[in-house]
Amino acid sequence: MDARIDLNNIGFDFDLTKRNAGLEANGATAPKATKTGTTIVGLLFKDGLVLGADTRATEGPIVADKNCEKIHYIAPNMYCCGAGTAADTEFTTNMISSQMELHRMSTGRESRVVTAMTLLKQYLFRHQGHISAALVLGGFDVTGPHLYTIYPHGSTDKLPYVTMGSGSLAAMSIFESRWRSDMERQEAIDLVKDAIEAGIFNDLGSGSNVDVCVIEKGKVDYLRNYARPNERAQKEQSYKFPRGTTAVLKTSIRDLVQVTEDTAMDIST
Amino acid sequence: MSIMEYNGAAVVAMVGKNCVAIASDTRLGQQAMTIDTNFQKVFPVTDKTMIGMAGLATDVLTLRDRFRYKVNMYKLKEERTIEPQTFAHMVSAALYEKRFGPYFIEPVIAGMDKRNQPFICSMDTIGCINFAKDFVVAGNAGGGLYGMCESLWEPDLEPEDLFETISQALLNAVDRNALSGWGAVVHIITPDQVITRQLKSRMLDWADPTVKDKAVRYTRL
Amino acid sequence: MLSEIVAQYTSEPTGYGAELTPGNFLARDAAKQFDSLSFDLPNAENPIDFLNTYTDVKSDNDNLIKLAHGTTTLAFKYAGGVVVAVDSRATQGSVIASQSVKKVIEINPYLLGTMAGGAADCFFWERELGRRCRLYELRNKERISVAAASKLLANMVYSYKGMGLSMGTMVSGWDKTGPNLFYVDNDGTRLKGNLFSVGSGATFAYGVLDTGYDHEMNKADAIDLGKRSIYHATHRDAYSGGYVRIYHINKEGWEFISLTDVDELHWQYADESRNRGA
Repeated sequence: MDARIDLNNIGFDFDLTKRNAGLEANGATAPKATKTGTTIVGLLFKDGLVLGADTRATEGPIVADKNCEKIHYIAPNMYCCGAGTAADTEFTTNMISSQMELHRMSTGRESRVVTAMTLLKQYLFRHQGHISAALVLGGFDVTGPHLYTIYPHGSTDKLPYVTMGSGSLAAMSIFESRWRSDMERQEAIDLVKDAIEAGIFNDLGSGSNVDVCVIEKGKVDYLRNYARPNERAQKEQSYKFPRGTTAVLKTSIRDLVQVTEDTAMDIST
Repeated sequence: MSIMEYNGAAVVAMVGKNCVAIASDTRLGQQAMTIDTNFQKVFPVTDKTMIGMAGLATDVLTLRDRFRYKVNMYKLKEERTIEPQTFAHMVSAALYEKRFGPYFIEPVIAGMDKRNQPFICSMDTIGCINFAKDFVVAGNAGGGLYGMCESLWEPDLEPEDLFETISQALLNAVDRNALSGWGAVVHIITPDQVITRQLKSRMLDWADPTVKDKAVRYTRL
Repeated sequence: MLSEIVAQYTSEPTGYGAELTPGNFLARDAAKQFDSLSFDLPNAENPIDFLNTYTDVKSDNDNLIKLAHGTTTLAFKYAGGVVVAVDSRATQGSVIASQSVKKVIEINPYLLGTMAGGAADCFFWERELGRRCRLYELRNKERISVAAASKLLANMVYSYKGMGLSMGTMVSGWDKTGPNLFYVDNDGTRLKGNLFSVGSGATFAYGVLDTGYDHEMNKADAIDLGKRSIYHATHRDAYSGGYVRIYHINKEGWEFISLTDVDELHWQYADESRNRGA
């Protein structure tokens, strides 16, 4: 059997667009996708770079996920923060990650950040901004540390310190006042943490915890929930209902384990 | 009118101690008019995995069948049962494929994996997965369900306590929502049992002669 | 003496906008009492469009003021008088705002009004109707007829036609001519009839009501029919529910009959249905 993927059949399926346009023409409105109203940042320091992100995902006014992961894996030496429509950032980074792995297998060399950046920008440009992924890409390759921002329409920047997402202004205010070149590792982590916290506290689209990822030559430290400034207090009382509270009309039980009765085998002799 | 409110639905899943629960209401409406009060929105995927779908009912039925096909093909190709995590990514990919013309459903998946670890997750209409350690919700009573779950849920609930918690969360949320309710079904999945209970709620349809059989019939995906 | 008192309380020259001082309190023109009330209207070219921008319930705009809507109400005449039955749910969008709204307004001991549409509009105008009916009674030394009362209401809302009032009501009562029932809505429609149902669940209620209706039925059966009609409407219509509230009107005036949770009725009817089957 042919296990290969049909390369002519990759990509988006527009089958339902006509139906959905018809529904909308009849007065129905389409639902909102999960957005990561986000604060994501990155900065260069003496020995490498630090990426940072908050962990809130929203659906309209509702916090859909209080502790999501916005720093995505691209390659062993490369990670990427995503803001925008959550599904887009997730699938876009996954796809590029997969392409990078295939590229490594084919070339036998470590991935370069510029390669991932180019793949990303070309992919996003091809879709003309309809894939709403705003990314901060960082990695350490044979040519040193690199930090890029990639916008949904495909433009890119290469800067020593960057912020993105709805909390980017709050985070940038921290960077603009405190970033210096050749910072120490811990200094850099603290600055990233403060920038993300500025987003968490001052931007309503961002919230919960701080994720940090430190990338140095030949070494990556993914510090998941590096800071948890919004820990929920212990509940003082329990709302546990006594068993039997809920009125049940009918119960059916399906056993997954077969219990068979048999006389035990005599193994004494 | 939002397409997600056309038929009405409320789905919720929760993690307990060595168990998970998934529950939904059973109303099917056409906007304000109730058409069916025994419409199932939660379907078995494997012995220990279930999927609930809230949203446009036509898409719920289409996707139920598509996922059954995909899960069967997976089993034939891989010669093993699909894990809940893997199934979640399968659902996610199927939804994202339709990124620019989506199915109007929000899925909720609950199951026990091969090491009997509880797993739950929810997704938006284009397949962004929300992995949670506590509870996930979907549907019109969403806001109300979140509120109920945030208050009632606590860690390490035994299967019978988890049943009470998820049932009360669901019933009280749908009682404040005009478009969902009219009966509810709860499934508790443990390592060796799947317990399915039909709840007595406000106004489920006793007049439907099939109500007893249909509610608990095990529709295999 | 009585007419002095009446005059004292009924001479507001400019309606609600005027300041109440002891001076102008006594020197009012009694004839002005049937003037239309004057509300401030939005200072826009078209007050109706202006209001619809903010309160149109059919729109999806999240910023809109969501008026409480959705109802099933009914009233019918039969040999023994009039039965009035209503549900008690109020919704704002799909959220159930209340399950215990009182949708019957007791205008006076012989007159009842029902509420459907905007809760505030119904309540305000029917209370205003109550005030006018009382003044009529004081002035004419006899009770107002249901026909006249319903016409007062119809005229009042007609003067605001198209300005966004939302009201579908049934005015019922007992007067010199016997039991009477009128339908009045915000368009200014006023209909005399034997049987009406108003609200989002009305079609469902009509189905039961028309099937079970018999002019010669007894009081208990009439009340049961009203109750069943509302119950079945609450079962099918998502925007109706809560409790069934029943009133009965005969020549002694109205009488409150019952307030029953539809869930209770649901299981009660379920048992009946099963027993019939057995």
